[in-house]
Amino acid sequence: MIRGILLAALLTVTTQAAAQPAPFDMSGERPADVPLRQRPAEAGGKSGLPAERPIAAKLPDDFKRFIIPFSALSLTGEVDERTWSVYLTPAQAQSSATLNFSYQNAIVVAPEASTLSVFVNGELAGEGPVGAAETAAQLSYDLKPGLLHAGTNDIRFRVRQRHRTDCTVESTYELWTEIAPDTAFIRFSSGESASLSSLDDVRAVGLDERGRTQFNLVVPGLQQPSRTAALMRLAQGLALRGQMPAQQFALSETMPELGKPGQITALVGTAEEVAPLIERLPDGASSGPVAMFVRDSKTKASVLVISGPDWSAVQEAIEGVTQPMDRPSNVPRDVIGTGRWLLPETPLVVSNARLRFSELGVETSEFTGRRFRARFSVAVPSDFYADAYGDATLLLDAAYTEAVLPGSHIDIYVNGNIASTIPLNSVTGDILRHLPINVTMRHFKPGPNLIEIEAVLLAEPDKACAPGTPAASDPRFALFDTSELRMPDFARIGRRPNLAAISGAGAPYRNDAAAVPLFLDRADEDTLSAAATFLGRLAVAGGRPILVEMITSPLAAGSRNALFVGAMPQLPKTVLTQVGIDSTRQMSWGNATDTGQRDETQRAIDEWRTRLSGGAWRNQLTGFQTWVKQEFDISLSSLRIMPEAQAEFAPPESASLVLAQGANPTDDATWTLLTAPTAKRLREGTSAIVDVTRWQQLAGRVSVYEPATDNIDVTPVAGFDFVQTQPPSLTNYRLILANWLSSNIMFYALLLIVLSVLLGLVTSSMLTRLGRRQ
Amino acid sequence: MSKVGSVAAWAFFSLCVIAVITLPVNLQTQLIVSVLIVTFMAVLKLVNAGGRWRLIALAFGTAVVLRYVYWRTTSTLPPLNQLENFIPGFLLYLAEMYSVMMLSLSLFVVAMPLPPRKASSISPGKFPKVDVFVPSYNEDAGLLANTLAAAKAMDYPADKLTVWLLDDGGTQQKRMSANLIEAQRASARHVELQALCDDLGVRYLTRERNEHAKAGNLNNGMLHSDGELIAVFDADHAPARDFLLETVGYFEQDPKLFLVQTPHFFLNPDPLERNLRTFEKMPSENEMFYGIIQRGLDKWNAAFFCGSAAVLRRKALEDADGFSGMSITEDCETALALHGRGWNSIYVDRPLIAGLQPATFASFIGQRSRWAQGMMQILLFRFPLFKGGLSIPQRLCYMSSTLFWLFPIPRTIFLFAPLFYLFFDLEIFTASGGEFLAYTLAYMLVNLMMQNYLYGSFRWPWISELYEFAQTVHLLPAVISVLLRPSRPTFKVTAKDESIQESRLSEIGRPFFVIFAVLFVALLITVYRVYTEPYKADVTLVVGGWNLLNLIMAGCLLGVVSERGERAASRRVKVSRRCEFGVAEQWYPATIEDVSAHGARVQVYGIDPTALPTDTEGAIRFEPYSGSGIPETLPVSIRNKEVAGDITVIGCRYLPQVARHHSLVADLIFANSRQWSEFQSARRGNPGLLRGTLWFLWLALYQTSRGLIYFLRSLRTSEAQKEGT
Repeated sequence: MIRGILLAALLTVTTQAAAQPAPFDMSGERPADVPLRQRPAEAGGKSGLPAERPIAAKLPDDFKRFIIPFSALSLTGEVDERTWSVYLTPAQAQSSATLNFSYQNAIVVAPEASTLSVFVNGELAGEGPVGAAETAAQLSYDLKPGLLHAGTNDIRFRVRQRHRTDCTVESTYELWTEIAPDTAFIRFSSGESASLSSLDDVRAVGLDERGRTQFNLVVPGLQQPSRTAALMRLAQGLALRGQMPAQQFALSETMPELGKPGQITALVGTAEEVAPLIERLPDGASSGPVAMFVRDSKTKASVLVISGPDWSAVQEAIEGVTQPMDRPSNVPRDVIGTGRWLLPETPLVVSNARLRFSELGVETSEFTGRRFRARFSVAVPSDFYADAYGDATLLLDAAYTEAVLPGSHIDIYVNGNIASTIPLNSVTGDILRHLPINVTMRHFKPGPNLIEIEAVLLAEPDKACAPGTPAASDPRFALFDTSELRMPDFARIGRRPNLAAISGAGAPYRNDAAAVPLFLDRADEDTLSAAATFLGRLAVAGGRPILVEMITSPLAAGSRNALFVGAMPQLPKTVLTQVGIDSTRQMSWGNATDTGQRDETQRAIDEWRTRLSGGAWRNQLTGFQTWVKQEFDISLSSLRIMPEAQAEFAPPESASLVLAQGANPTDDATWTLLTAPTAKRLREGTSAIVDVTRWQQLAGRVSVYEPATDNIDVTPVAGFDFVQTQPPSLTNYRLILANWLSSNIMFYALLLIVLSVLLGLVTSSMLTRLGRRQ
Repeated sequence: MSKVGSVAAWAFFSLCVIAVITLPVNLQTQLIVSVLIVTFMAVLKLVNAGGRWRLIALAFGTAVVLRYVYWRTTSTLPPLNQLENFIPGFLLYLAEMYSVMMLSLSLFVVAMPLPPRKASSISPGKFPKVDVFVPSYNEDAGLLANTLAAAKAMDYPADKLTVWLLDDGGTQQKRMSANLIEAQRASARHVELQALCDDLGVRYLTRERNEHAKAGNLNNGMLHSDGELIAVFDADHAPARDFLLETVGYFEQDPKLFLVQTPHFFLNPDPLERNLRTFEKMPSENEMFYGIIQRGLDKWNAAFFCGSAAVLRRKALEDADGFSGMSITEDCETALALHGRGWNSIYVDRPLIAGLQPATFASFIGQRSRWAQGMMQILLFRFPLFKGGLSIPQRLCYMSSTLFWLFPIPRTIFLFAPLFYLFFDLEIFTASGGEFLAYTLAYMLVNLMMQNYLYGSFRWPWISELYEFAQTVHLLPAVISVLLRPSRPTFKVTAKDESIQESRLSEIGRPFFVIFAVLFVALLITVYRVYTEPYKADVTLVVGGWNLLNLIMAGCLLGVVSERGERAASRRVKVSRRCEFGVAEQWYPATIEDVSAHGARVQVYGIDPTALPTDTEGAIRFEPYSGSGIPETLPVSIRNKEVAGDITVIGCRYLPQVARHHSLVADLIFANSRQWSEFQSARRGNPGLLRGTLWFLWLALYQTSRGLIYFLRSLRTSEAQKEGT
């Protein structure tokens, strides 16, 4: 740590784009004293630090870590930011470091009024105008010594963007700045910082240039079935330590190429098995369980060796990695570990709670533009069952000036769906103090939920849109961090099937005290990798590792919640039947011979439907239906009394992976199946869905992954069983009933009507007995 | 099933319904349920299902109302930290909750009104001695003569019947008044009435001081009489001949019975009926009370004394130290006291008296102010809910009767609530358009349907609202003043014999024009805001619609306070009675077509119309019901005539000369109570919600224009007067 040197101007920026001419010449519209574009090189020059740092030339002894945990990072609108954390080893924290990235922005972004700022641990690490419209600009900011510390470090990218010519709300949608993950990294000057030494350093596994993480498990004797359960346990332990947004596992018997970014290789086996694969066995490997990093002298890469004199010692070593990650299954977490891609960590709300915006990471901010946005995340448990009736309340502290015209509004989005709109109709401005806003919980699902607040502000000056003045204008809107989200007590009961519970919290498996039966059709590398990847993700979602027991027949699962992983053709028919998959397609799926047929028929039917919809009466009726659907979200199907017949699911040809859930044959446990046409596609598909953006889309009774569109396709649950998760309580039953009746409207109507009729009859009988009668 | 069992079963099912109603289901569910239940109720109404179905329909309605209450309570109140919204919002909420409470109380009262009772008979030879009290304060002798004659003519053994005129207008206090004119007038009255009573065979009684108003007067009557039963008639309420035969028998059946109350039937329209011209075709306002509510109260042994047209037991009154006089509605207060001491009351649903009601809007309001203030006094002094000795149903019944008179307060709030939004942009009711549709609209519809279900043929849609609105303006200060100073109000006698000679605006009609103007401005603002603030047009339209409803009511009231002139001094009653018409010693066969307190219309056969100039004196000869079968003669003078072939219709005016002539007039008008029942049932038709509403809209439109025309005319005359002076 260098305390003596005080670096007043931290930022050292290299921009190649600075020399480019501006896409629009706006000099005529701008006060002459504003420079066309801030030249970061000048700033760098003043601070006396080298202005240029050739990025392409790789110094032999430096080390870089990619930092962006997404496949793409796009900051849009007038204000936008992303915050996440990066785990650094003590060596990395000690090393002097620069933060590098390149970005490109929309051509309509006005550079003189737009800034891109990077914060590290809350301190501004670098800031500059947004001016890379034509080609990507590369930036490099020196990080002040002492800024980084061992452990978790927060990184925040923030933009303030302004349109060059337009002041409408619509124009704000044209504003974007993109940062490519493969260009964004922290460069540590010391090559030593690449080395990992303690087990804790697994957290520093990092990311590759696509925002992904991979654990290579090299296991001699991989195919021995007796070892699989322990390997699955190890995968979960490593996944829980890593906590990265997209972690995949590759199990093999041979050493992979070492030293790749975002990867950790672990050698697992008895000392005897491991010895040939490594230069030097760790001390004590032949006498007792060992789990430690060893440096490969050739590649300088650290390899995690998990070993021991015999397999049981290896198992012990594995528990040494995994056991510390365990936590009691019956105590709810206060936060869901989302920090590696979203900070602050998402709080988990299990019953009524009030969360202040300051805790949720929403800061007090004043805003001069047209479309203000803030976002935060809140998690609900896997047995959340209030999507039909529930309302959360946002107690909003905000203010707006008289510049804001009536017709402006604040919209609340939950997971991208509009949940509420509040008009800002005062002509004189207003201070909203804890204004209650009902936010429907319709779009909440187990696990983290993204809540966005968007203020759309119409203003008189924007109508004129005087050029050159925008940045100077006074704030017209403010959001205060004293605002609160109030979550009510909500109904809690598990449902079977419900893949959203798996995605949100690894339920029901995370709660099982006994070992979870795991069925693998074959113990080959692909299947094992897929299973390890899936279980690793499950453990991260559930926040604790699951105990696994291998089974070879579905019958062995008994009345325990079980997992089935394997290629479709080899799976037992009972499993397919139980999870509701059309077993007649077991062999044909993936052979791609009859793809066209179904589409053709469907197209013909659609065509006939449009041809027949000419009748005026029919139009009126469908018009009315559409109106009711739009206004009140009521469709004919919501008035259904009998549950929809649950058709067997036939996996489409375009899908590469199917995750399906159902009850076991005795209807007292949950079976989940992860399958694909082949083991290879199983592995690829599993790697794809564990990425947090796709993982969070898993829901319904069947979710399939479509590689062509990179999309999760969800088949909703038609009929389900309740699974008790909470101790019996009347208030909970009441809320469960409320939710069930809200989604089965006709039953509520029937119930109320029958009860009213009974009440009428009882009243009549009472009245003939009471008082005078004749 | 025992009583306890049936109550337990009811409580259980009520709890189930409440449990289901308080489930926080979503808006969609509420919408579907509302649509279904409203449809169900409409079907039940259309097929006119009665009996059990009536209670089932009411249970449906209750379910929707309770859903509304649950939602209104949990989701619509403005946040507490916006006081400018919260305070008016909470007041509105309280007003609505008051309405819901009154709805539930009246549901309880009229859930199963008693069907008409079987006539009771008096055991031969066991006729109890009856004193008939006719308290009077300032009524003129002619009016009293009719009432006293009718009372005297009641079918009852003459030795068991004593009629008393209890004159409070000729007391010693009045005769000795420091005001000379008043003293003279009282003395003259004293003499005149004494003579009249002597003529009619009626006892005249007055007292020294006018203490405790009507109650004191009646108590004075009790001191001087000894009959087992006491019948009370207001000075303008003349009984039918069968009054005592229909009522006295019940006292023999139940020794703990203290009261038999009968309905008040009015021969003349109240000012609303007269000015809106609904007297002939629409049930009167009081018919809801006497036709349904008293029957409902009767079920719970809570029918109360209405000051007149009732028979009471002396022993019971003595048990409670006579008529209570703490409040200015001594009648209800007395009944409450006696119910509290374990005495019973019954109600006989058959009009057995005919009377007059206030003719002008001002005296109508005066009468209602007295009722409202008196009931408030009972509420404050005798709080019925906690009064000992009453059964639980009786407590609820009396609460319902007294709390009803708080209506001016919520009515005022409903009137001004939309203006908070339209004028000041305050949001005192937080709800979206969809919620409004699913909850509020359903609630309002169901409310109207329940009213129609309960009172359908006794009260047409919107009429309750109209009457309450009409009274609110002047009753609000009256009610508030009594709440602030409960012992302040004193008894004032309502004038009922006024008549309106020419069309004019009521002297207390101004505020209605001001209200109308304000609401009209609000309507203009609604339109303006819908166009200038399209982003909140939905809210503006909903609130503006509410204001429009108020405006329609206010417009209709402009017609109410525009008093129509009337030619006939009193209302005619249709009779069809054989008689002979005599002129110049010549008798012709004739039929009496209709009669009023002052004259009659007679169809005469075979008379030469040319020989009948106006003011010719003649006579009607007919057989009185009360007589011994010998025809008697009543002198008349001819006022007008119409000729139709052999028949000449003659309008004539009575010229009573001796007391017997008053008895004959009473016999003509009051003898036959069946004709009153027929008249009432002719008006009792249920137009239904839709037709009733359309009719009301039309009425309101017409009355608005009439009110505005009267207003302009009054401006012109006042200007002319100014110029004249």
